[in-house]
Amino acid sequence: MERDGGKTLSEREFIIPIGPQHPALKEPESFLFTVDGEVVVDVEPRIGYNHRGIEKAMESRNYIQNLYITERVCGICSNAHQTAYTGAVEEVGSIEIPERAKYIRVFMQELERIHSHLLWLGVAAHEIGFDTMFYYVWRDREVVMDLLEEVSGNRCNYAMATVGGVRRDLPRDKYPKWHKMLDKLAERTNYYIKVASTEKTILERAVGVGYLGKEDMIRLSGSGPNARSSGVPCDIRKLTPYLIYDEIPFKHIYVDNGDVLGQVLVRTLEVIEAVKICKWVLDKIPEGEIAVKFNPMQRLPEGEAVYLVEAQRGELIHYTISDGRNMPYRHKIRAPTLGNIPSLVERLKGGYIADIPITIAGIDPCFSCTDRMAFYDEGKDKTWTWTDVELSKYRKEWYSR
Amino acid sequence: MSNLLTTLVAVLFFPGLSFILTYALWCQWVSRKAAARLQNRQGPLHTGWQGILQPLADFVKLLVNEDITPAAADKPVFNYSPIAVFAIPLAATFLIPIQSLTNLRGWEPIASFEGDLIIVLFLMSVVILAVFLGGWSSGNVFGAVGATRAALMMLAYEIPLSLVVVGPAILAGSLQISEIVDWQVASVNAFLRAPDIQGLAVAAVLFIGVVIYLICLLAELELRPFDISEAETEIVHGWQVEYSGKKLALLNAGHDVKMVLAAALMTSLFLGGPAGPILPPFAWFILKTTFCVLVLTNLSVLFARFRIDQMVAGAWKYLVPLAVLQVMAVVALSGVI
Repeated sequence: MERDGGKTLSEREFIIPIGPQHPALKEPESFLFTVDGEVVVDVEPRIGYNHRGIEKAMESRNYIQNLYITERVCGICSNAHQTAYTGAVEEVGSIEIPERAKYIRVFMQELERIHSHLLWLGVAAHEIGFDTMFYYVWRDREVVMDLLEEVSGNRCNYAMATVGGVRRDLPRDKYPKWHKMLDKLAERTNYYIKVASTEKTILERAVGVGYLGKEDMIRLSGSGPNARSSGVPCDIRKLTPYLIYDEIPFKHIYVDNGDVLGQVLVRTLEVIEAVKICKWVLDKIPEGEIAVKFNPMQRLPEGEAVYLVEAQRGELIHYTISDGRNMPYRHKIRAPTLGNIPSLVERLKGGYIADIPITIAGIDPCFSCTDRMAFYDEGKDKTWTWTDVELSKYRKEWYSR
Repeated sequence: MSNLLTTLVAVLFFPGLSFILTYALWCQWVSRKAAARLQNRQGPLHTGWQGILQPLADFVKLLVNEDITPAAADKPVFNYSPIAVFAIPLAATFLIPIQSLTNLRGWEPIASFEGDLIIVLFLMSVVILAVFLGGWSSGNVFGAVGATRAALMMLAYEIPLSLVVVGPAILAGSLQISEIVDWQVASVNAFLRAPDIQGLAVAAVLFIGVVIYLICLLAELELRPFDISEAETEIVHGWQVEYSGKKLALLNAGHDVKMVLAAALMTSLFLGGPAGPILPPFAWFILKTTFCVLVLTNLSVLFARFRIDQMVAGAWKYLVPLAVLQVMAVVALSGVI
């Protein structure tokens, strides 16, 4: 037997394709697993099924229009993308945003972290076949979804940040109610931490599954909860604080389990910290304006800026270059999942087929945010670009074969 | 003539084909509804009262769906194994005592002979063979993995299952299911007249048997935590992956009939069969088997799915020794009695 890479398989080995369509993957991505019986020998990830041309689209729209594009890079970390984008643009334009706006951005970011981590916890339970926990977690997640809806009018894609501040204020009379909702979330999350660390069948499927040590994790440059579950302290909020994170007292969560249980613990403990941050923000938020004026036609000075945000899935990088017009010359987004794929491949090797879904889900992948496309011929070592006419011609040839 | 007519009615309508199939749909509804309520969901709601017709609607809908046989499949095996998966457990239910047509208080099964318990166990194992052939012949990697897992699982749970089923047979001194039921009725009546310590000991030992039997049934019926051979998130419904349309409808109906058979066997061997005061036998049969289905459903929503190696190791480490001990205790007790 021979496959694309030219690697030959032994008698006992065969290939299982997971993806681009598979119930364990919520987004299209392909992994070719070479397995020996039930044990995974080798993994070949293939990314690039969901190219959307977002970065190119941003180059022909002004800075306000781009807000809506960046928000739609990802459904779950929409606010993280907006925070990073507005941060980068404000840095290029030297725009100082009001203090209250910073607090509101942090508040939204942490609410989104709670919602994302609880969503992940439910999905993880589903991947190991524990549907009852999935339903319970998602029921309790509705509390934070209601809170987000009350703040922004939407359950996802909140459209809160804008260049120069935020678009909606937090009405002060709602704070007591929100405090209660946050308390409920903390209480339920504590319960799930207890369940996940004591329930026998969960431990059977989580302890030692997809193990990766600290040195390997640093070498493979993982980020976010994926790296922090292997004992790498890499929270951007602590390392290079943005907005007001240097003023907020919160714990830097990292554990050295290195397995799926570590990922569960990091995420659930982060939910607890996020609840504390939200409550702190509600207590300490100053009065004042929520935005400075920014005209859609306003030109930014020439320059470039990098803005790092700790999104739910890890380190999110937005890099923008301005050439003096009212739209970016180039805007580059690096979503955290791209940095996590090398460590994911290492986590999968040597595991069982049954552990593939939970290990892939363990890094909380968002493949659609990650996907980029480029044409590259490995044999001739050259790259090129195709116009849409050439692409449709290629498609016609492909399907008429 | 009237004897032939009674037999025909018994086989075709009650308590044979029609009754078992309708009852299988009922069991599916009970199981789905109970699981949904335990998981904080509503479950089926819109077809009939509380969605009670939903299993039937699903069955009819699958019959209408397109039926695809993959080009890579081994066609005869692939096409006939769903029939086997459906028909074999259905045939086995004819050996279970439910209700006599001639006598309102009687419960002799449609067919009954010395050794029919062995036949039922044999038929339950043969189903797995059909499952394995169906998955293996589908020409799909996931189907093959699921089929291998189903066969591996059978190696793990088949032995403890057979061992604990032998327990009541030894006590009753018969391998005939209806005689085991008669023995249970007689000994319960005797115990109620004059309670003694031996009766309690028998009940305690048989309770261990029931626990082992339930665990094995979860594996036999591919329910959580042992739905390893069809694990949706891992291997995309495993051996069923390539089945669609009529064949999938048959497989689903087969699964429900298997559930009825398992619950009925548990009722007959451990819960006194269809016997009970006041109500006729079939009413007691329905009450007791529905109770068994509820217990199975409750167990299946409590756990996460095990891995195949954990399941096989656990079965050989704990279930098999426990089952052997239980049989030894039963043998010791039967000497006392």
